Amino acid sequence: MSKIRSIVSAVLAVVLVSAPAFAQVSVDSNLPDYTPVQGVTGNIKSVGSDTMNNMMTLWAEGFKTMYPNVQVEIEGKGSSTAPPALISATSNFGPMSRSTKSKEDDAFEKRFGYKPTQLPTSIDMLAVYVNKDNPIEGMSFPQVDAIFSKGRKLGFASEINKWGETGLTGAWANAPISLYGRNSASGTYGYFKKHALGKGDFRDSVKEQPGSSAVVQGVASDKYGIGYSGIGYKTADVKAIALSKDQGGKLIPATPEYAYSGDYPLSRFLWLTVNYKPGSELEPLRKEFIKYIFSKQGQLDVVKDGYYPITAPIAKKALASVNIH
Amino acid sequence: MSTTLTEPNNKPALPRETIRQSMSSRKKTRGNRGGRSLLAKGEPMLWLTGGGLIVAVVMIIALLALVIVQGMVTFWPKHVDQFVLKNGTVHMGEITRDDTYKPEVGVLDSLPAEVQTDIANNEGWAHRELVRTGNFDLTNSHFHWVEDFYIESRSQPQWATVIERNAWGRFYGMPKAFMIDGKVVADTPEGTWAEFLKHHDQVRERWHVRRALEKHDIGYESRKIDDARLELKSAKIEHGVDSPQYRDAQTNYDAVDAEVNVAYGKIREKINALNAENDKYQLVMVTTQGQEKQLGLADVVRAYQPNQIGFGSKLGIYVSRWWEFLTDEPREANSEGGVFPAIFGTVAMTLIMSLMVVPFGVLASLYLREYAKAGPMISAVRIAINNLAGVPSIVFGVFGLGFFCYVVGGTIDEVFFKASLPNPTFGTGGLLWAALTLALLTLPVVIVSTEEALAAVPGSMREGSYGCGASKWQTIRRIVLPRAMPGVMTGAILAMARGAGEVAPLMLVGAVKLAPELPIDGVYPFLHAQRSFMHLGFHVYDLGFQSQNAEAAKPMVFTTTLLLIMIVAFLNLFAIWLRARLRRKFVSSQF
Repeated sequence: MSKIRSIVSAVLAVVLVSAPAFAQVSVDSNLPDYTPVQGVTGNIKSVGSDTMNNMMTLWAEGFKTMYPNVQVEIEGKGSSTAPPALISATSNFGPMSRSTKSKEDDAFEKRFGYKPTQLPTSIDMLAVYVNKDNPIEGMSFPQVDAIFSKGRKLGFASEINKWGETGLTGAWANAPISLYGRNSASGTYGYFKKHALGKGDFRDSVKEQPGSSAVVQGVASDKYGIGYSGIGYKTADVKAIALSKDQGGKLIPATPEYAYSGDYPLSRFLWLTVNYKPGSELEPLRKEFIKYIFSKQGQLDVVKDGYYPITAPIAKKALASVNIH
Repeated sequence: MSTTLTEPNNKPALPRETIRQSMSSRKKTRGNRGGRSLLAKGEPMLWLTGGGLIVAVVMIIALLALVIVQGMVTFWPKHVDQFVLKNGTVHMGEITRDDTYKPEVGVLDSLPAEVQTDIANNEGWAHRELVRTGNFDLTNSHFHWVEDFYIESRSQPQWATVIERNAWGRFYGMPKAFMIDGKVVADTPEGTWAEFLKHHDQVRERWHVRRALEKHDIGYESRKIDDARLELKSAKIEHGVDSPQYRDAQTNYDAVDAEVNVAYGKIREKINALNAENDKYQLVMVTTQGQEKQLGLADVVRAYQPNQIGFGSKLGIYVSRWWEFLTDEPREANSEGGVFPAIFGTVAMTLIMSLMVVPFGVLASLYLREYAKAGPMISAVRIAINNLAGVPSIVFGVFGLGFFCYVVGGTIDEVFFKASLPNPTFGTGGLLWAALTLALLTLPVVIVSTEEALAAVPGSMREGSYGCGASKWQTIRRIVLPRAMPGVMTGAILAMARGAGEVAPLMLVGAVKLAPELPIDGVYPFLHAQRSFMHLGFHVYDLGFQSQNAEAAKPMVFTTTLLLIMIVAFLNLFAIWLRARLRRKFVSSQF
């Protein structure tokens, strides 16, 4: 599992850095076209990430136009719900916005004798959103940490409670910062905690929202709000600010070219977790669905949902990891 | 009122006649009469109770009005505005809402002096509008804010066209050309539009035929092969790979497979022919930014020029959108299309729940009221039932998931659906488990109201029945139950209203984001109680909190809420009508 991940990261680093900057998000033309085959039936049951909820729905809808009698059920309440559902076999796909934890891998291995397989389906930028009227351009991770966390593990000098402390002036100087975030079942919650807060704890004053879209809507209606959510949920009412990893570092805006170049500090893969016995052959339903996701059509759905498609080499590696060539 | 309050309160009480007289002409004499405390007359209480009622009514009406107004306007076609900004950008779309705000200092400084003075004269407030610009495939955004002070000019172009598509959301642009089979047959807006109107219905008709082929014909064939595959797998599990049964199943499977493949080929051919025919018709649109976009006519659900059409056409579009909403399946991750599966799921779930909870509730309360001897045991049971009504609904959801889905469903799967494991059949959330969970949730309502109805039947009637020689059950069956029936129906109405509006437990036991397969259909065994289903309440939650295009989903939240309220009201009206009929029956059977 970790091997695949490291291969994929390496590929991302090599292929994407060398790839020209994408102005408009477009699908890699080297990806295979999906052509329907015969004999695909059954029930696609997906339980997992809320970030990927709409994308799973789009894939399922696209897949259903080719296999109309395939039944589809999609639940998205958070990445943490994916591994238990796979283990209890109540689902056959587990979309996750983070990689599996070793605890989850172990529980899975205990039941099946091998670890779950994760396929990188698309690229997301976890964006830090502020209200559209907020003049702030960007922030460093230590600042974000000082806003969201209790402990300030990234070492910012003091807690940030007012917009003035981030450098804003005028009416903003004394405006209190109002925090929006996700609930703890969410992979976005875990990812943000790990990367932007240095594994520190969130403050109690973070208003936990039941969905990615709810975070954006919260920030949209709260002039002094700040929150984090997938880039796919951006609306005209919020602004995704630029981020830098270190205090005083270069601010990287949340635009696709920086996701592909790997410069944006919160870009991540969105994973599809499957129960795949190494060396075996997937049954037609799952095999074809995975093939669909890694095809041109499937990646077009990714664009449709506001995320960024993967490139052909990553797709090839991912397919090879479940024995599809 | 105030005069009464300030008058001294020491006059002797008036004689009775005077009071009566003053009661009859109250309005005129109230102020002058005085002499009695307001409290004694009970008027403050009248005001208090009346006021309480008014507050409740106002709140209910305000909430309903909000939902109805917002829900009703969603589908009304708005006109399309084109904005040319000072920096040369052009936006075109429908205005969704507007907003007055104070521009930030940095923004203000960058504006020309006269605009700055304008804003300063307006006490720092400026105005902006949110424009739904669509064209997500070209611009990567659905909406744009347009500030008044950036606008160079605004207009309502005659040929601005709104196109609702199968995918990618709305498109705003002008018709440019129409192509049939790669040849341009029209290149003016008028000509293009005439061609569009000429061909669109036929193309959509073919599209619907294709969808029906995909859904029904292919579905029928694949069910055949599915059944054969399951038989094969069962034979393998039960008899082993070397058994004659397995070989028979294998032969059967191969035969079915070959037969289905031939049928598939034929259907695919038909579908491909329809697609090829449809692909000939292409509409070329141009956006206000000058980008060209070719749209297959089959992907256009609906298109119109809102700045040209009159009230009648708008009404037509409004009705057709409602129709689509009520009868079609959702598309684009539920943010567009219809909610028919959700309506169906809600109604089916509520009805199944009522079918389960009413008989059980009535039986339980019959025992409690008619058979059981009053005592500490029965009191304890009653208290427990009443407490059950206070348990948070999510707890019922967890219980349903743990007990019904995993324990009961898991066992059913082990015994009857071994061949399809590890894919669960009953061992996961589904219509049946959701209905059972909500039946548990609403059981106290039914028991309490039935018990009260049973208690209201006069004891003399029972005694009369016994006097005629009827047994206990005969008395209950013929005398008590019919008279308690309206009360039972009241319980059922309350239970239905509660059950249809409940969402939290359903999220755990079977309501899902997308499940276009209806739990009841024309395929044997017709009622698929194990299937997950869509629910309007959950749909509202999903649209409100999880939709990617949040701005466009917001009005749909109101529309879906409106629909849910209407369905609950309709179910209630039906039950009330039933109760009224029962009452009439009961009255007419009296002497």
